[in-house]
Amino acid sequence: MFLEITMLILVVAMLFATNRLIRGPYLWDRLMALNLISIKSLTLLIVYAVYRERYILLDVTLAYAIAGFLVVTLISRFLIRGGRVK
Amino acid sequence: MIYKGILMLGWFYLIFGIIGIYRFSDLYSRLLTSSKIDTVAVLTIIIGLIAKLGFQKPVIKLILTLVFILLTNPVTNHVIARSAYMSGVPIKRNDVL
Repeated sequence: MFLEITMLILVVAMLFATNRLIRGPYLWDRLMALNLISIKSLTLLIVYAVYRERYILLDVTLAYAIAGFLVVTLISRFLIRGGRVK
Repeated sequence: MIYKGILMLGWFYLIFGIIGIYRFSDLYSRLLTSSKIDTVAVLTIIIGLIAKLGFQKPVIKLILTLVFILLTNPVTNHVIARSAYMSGVPIKRNDVL
């Protein structure tokens, strides 16, 4: 019961973060919203793995955490020089 | 059970994170809220799941994920803020909130 309500609140938070990603005034607002959606979907996957007792999904969670961190960091480093490719 | 209380604390952190993204009017304030509140929310929910499972084998993977998120999520938000500052996004002075 508590895990189901936690998953519901996580999905609602992801919807609000998607709204911020659509109408953010700056580009970095959209990047922040992307980071929020990444972290919240990771938490959703963890809660679902404990809820269904399929613990093989926790390995997928670790890989997804590394992928999200690298994506946001590389896009930020790319945007420092104005988005030009050297 | 003790994990229900910890999960309810995580719900409050999640709701405060949503409010903080829409409440502030500056980019750096939103980055501050995103960096603090959401890291704490994810950590609280994972600690609640650890308290639910007890001493089992998948707790090791949960602790590994917790340490990784604790290390990388503030670094990610700092990289975003540094990228925005070096690209010339203005800092709003005298922000009344």
